[in-house]
Amino acid sequence: MDHLLPKEIVEASHAFPESLAACGDLDALLRLKGAYVGREGSFAARLMDLLKTAPKEQKRDLGAAINAFKQRWEEGLKARQAELEAAKKGLSALADRWDPSLPPPVPAQGALHPLNRLMDRLVEVFRPLGFHVEEGPEVETEAHNFDGLNIPEDHPAKASSDTFYLAAHPELLLRTHTSPVQVRTLLRVAPDLAVRGGIRFLAPGRVYRKDEIDPTHSPMFHQVEGMLVGHGIGMQHLKGTLEYALRALFGPHTEIRLRPSYFPFVEPGCEVDVSCPLCGAKGCRVCKGSGWVEILGAGLIHPNVLTYAGIDPSEWSGWAFGMGVERMAMMLSQTPDLRLFFENDQRFLKAMGGLD
Amino acid sequence: MWIERQALAQEIPAVAAMETRQLCELLASLGFPVDGLATREGTEVLDVDITANRGDAMSHRGMAREVAAKLGQALVPMAAVEVPEGAPVIEVRLESPTCPIYSTAVLELGKGATPKEVQAFLSALESAPKRLPAVDASNELLHRYGHPTHAFDANCIRGSVSVRWAKTGETLVTLDGVTRTLVTHDLVIADEAGPIALAGVMGGNATKVTETTSRVLLESAYFDPKTVRATARRHSLHTDASHRFGRGADPAMARVARDLLVGRLQAWCGARLVGAWTAGSRPADRSAVALGKSLLTRVAGAPLPLEEAATALTQLGCTVVSQNEGLAVIPPSWRHDLAIAEDLTEEVLRLRGYEQIPSVLPPLEGPPEPLSPSYLQRQLLSRRLAHLGFHQTVTYGFISPEADAAFAAPENAPGGRTLENPLGQEFSVMRGSLLPSLRSAAEQNLRQGAREVRLFELSPTYASGPQGPVESFMLGVVWAGVLGGEDYLSPARPIREADLSGVAKGLGWNRLPEIRSLGEGLFGFEVPLAELPLHGSRIIPAFRAFSRFPSVERDLSLLVDLGQSHEALVSAMKRALPNEALQDLRCVDVFRHKSLPEGRQAWLMRLRFQADRTLVGAEVDGWVAAALAMAESLGARLRA
Repeated sequence: MDHLLPKEIVEASHAFPESLAACGDLDALLRLKGAYVGREGSFAARLMDLLKTAPKEQKRDLGAAINAFKQRWEEGLKARQAELEAAKKGLSALADRWDPSLPPPVPAQGALHPLNRLMDRLVEVFRPLGFHVEEGPEVETEAHNFDGLNIPEDHPAKASSDTFYLAAHPELLLRTHTSPVQVRTLLRVAPDLAVRGGIRFLAPGRVYRKDEIDPTHSPMFHQVEGMLVGHGIGMQHLKGTLEYALRALFGPHTEIRLRPSYFPFVEPGCEVDVSCPLCGAKGCRVCKGSGWVEILGAGLIHPNVLTYAGIDPSEWSGWAFGMGVERMAMMLSQTPDLRLFFENDQRFLKAMGGLD
Repeated sequence: MWIERQALAQEIPAVAAMETRQLCELLASLGFPVDGLATREGTEVLDVDITANRGDAMSHRGMAREVAAKLGQALVPMAAVEVPEGAPVIEVRLESPTCPIYSTAVLELGKGATPKEVQAFLSALESAPKRLPAVDASNELLHRYGHPTHAFDANCIRGSVSVRWAKTGETLVTLDGVTRTLVTHDLVIADEAGPIALAGVMGGNATKVTETTSRVLLESAYFDPKTVRATARRHSLHTDASHRFGRGADPAMARVARDLLVGRLQAWCGARLVGAWTAGSRPADRSAVALGKSLLTRVAGAPLPLEEAATALTQLGCTVVSQNEGLAVIPPSWRHDLAIAEDLTEEVLRLRGYEQIPSVLPPLEGPPEPLSPSYLQRQLLSRRLAHLGFHQTVTYGFISPEADAAFAAPENAPGGRTLENPLGQEFSVMRGSLLPSLRSAAEQNLRQGAREVRLFELSPTYASGPQGPVESFMLGVVWAGVLGGEDYLSPARPIREADLSGVAKGLGWNRLPEIRSLGEGLFGFEVPLAELPLHGSRIIPAFRAFSRFPSVERDLSLLVDLGQSHEALVSAMKRALPNEALQDLRCVDVFRHKSLPEGRQAWLMRLRFQADRTLVGAEVDGWVAAALAMAESLGARLRA
């Protein structure tokens, strides 16, 4: 019956599946629907008009043909509509979907300063042995910084070329080590030392020496001092404590080595080496191939230091150690320049300090 | 100090067969770590680190003595031929007890030069030979045996010689050509015309030995260490001689070194001895130090028999006598560092080897102490701030007076906090505020391209007081740059004062914080730690009841003046509200727009009520109306 239909409509009908497929969205489909099956002016409407004016004997066949067209178009449109609606739904589901790989808002993360972190770590290591923290002022008296520590009257460290003094108070200086905290603490606890059962503490803090700023020197740096006073304390207790602490810091296979040395406030005195934590004592640049790194100075408290504080050295004895925090931090991190610790560049702080 | 291996082996032959590494470890185990190695003049030299108390070890002989004691071997005897003494050729008077002995000789020099091997020895130690036998021999003896000696050109000496304190105003041109103005605490060697040498430190230029010198006066003395140290420091003249005399030379070596020097000059250049004599005498041996068994065992941490101690101390040159339950020990004349029993114990332990010390944890004799609240406060605060995105800084305690003046409290005068001898003006005042240091650290970070900078420091600041600077811990916080804009949910905006104010509040600072503008978009505050909450002494705070009835929230949008204080508005509104029912009243939004009347802004005030009963709508309406009326009395209007 197709020959009875206008050629244009037949061609449109042939083109229908392609046009349908070309509809990318519901709006386009609606327009296509209007063109084919809309109430007015559409191909279907025109076919209906044709049917009305068709001779009676053709009406039946023509009607059947028209219906077939219309049915095909409507079914096609419906199916496509369902398809497009499903696609739309899928898109909106996609839009709602969270992509876990899209960078999320991250809570700001700051950092502790690496030097503080290292000092905190040392305190943590000594806490289980019953050590607490003692602190003292940075502006100290000459007596606490030198005299109470058995440092001779004419020691070169006292010179104004080595130590900062206060202009308005010639007897005051910026402490050159954390050792004055020993003097202060011993003076304070001396009267009830027996009741306390001795004392053991760490003294972390900032100290000052008159050094020009360069890659290995700073006029301000940090030390951690450790001290223990008790009955019958000898070198074995110093060694035992440091072995425990340095193994807690660097790992259970760490070895330590004591070498004789001299500091006015201890006798005997020693330097303490630790098996190189970076190469496992195999020998590297940091330990200069020796497998050992010098880590701190220590010794048994000089009787004069105890006596100065009012403690009887024939009854009490003890040990003390002092370590440079920057030196250890530089060794562990292999930071090439000491100044980086005082420049406070956030990139350095973030990378080196972090948070636990 | 440089030690030449062959010269060391000449004193203690066992060293010759040792590997270098073995020798280095042996020296380190004795307390003399080797800092470096070098090869000079075809021989190996070791850079040995010698602690300040061991002047006696500052020579090849001294180092050999240590090695010999450790190995239990004898030193090669010193090849000194005793020079017969006679009447003084020139009168020498000792006028100060700080020079108890002065051995000397006068020689007429012949022809001859410093032997090649001695020149090489000196070169290897970086002590350039002068090719003047008298000078080189003196230097060689110093390095080999540790006793400084000096040779004067005897023809330049006028009259008698005395060792005396300098007189005020006297001057001396030392060997380095510098004119030294002397003080009465400088010990000098003088002739009748004035000083000719700074005792134990440096000779004088006018009497120095030159190529034309034909007659020398030798000096081999002992000078008090303190006197030498003081003079060396006063004149910034640190010489080989002052190092050794300053740390304590061996008075018994005065005569021996003179004899050795005479012998060398006779051998090297055919010198003719005119006369040798000694003024004064060596000081008496020190008294014995008692060393008990219990101290030895306590320090060593293991049984240490007295016999072992006696052997070790004898090896080191001590005179040891057994006395009841212990030893009486007279240290050798070269060991100024051995004064008390602990010193001797260290010697015994050193020879035994520190590696023999056992490792024992000290027993706890009393209860451990807690960490102090102030220490814990800083620990917790620093972690808190780091978790809030702030980076902890460490900056110097001293800053420039200008930077300090901009932030220190006006009553905190800088005079009491100023250093006498700063590294420079920019490091001269102990800071009264952390903000200048934090500001410069923040600016530095911004210059380096940081988008956002968050820094804090927990450090002492200093306040001038009559007894000196008073330290108190301060927290300083700075924040600058752009917040957000780095992810799809957080819009970018500049940091505002309010951001810092929120941080201050969050840390528990109860005052209205003073936020300082420190530069373009850079804000900061500082707070004394005394004003922040301490780590609680209670484990859990006391229980406080809270209402289980629902709360009621009402918002009021108010038009207020641009200059309206939030605090004033809130406190006025609160006066109209029942204390027991009002939970919270605050502005939760500020709206400023040209559509609003000029000079006005809109504040969204949120009121939250809660009580121990269900609140009725009508009573809440009444409260809100009353609060509004109070707001209106301050000029606020309900926004249409």
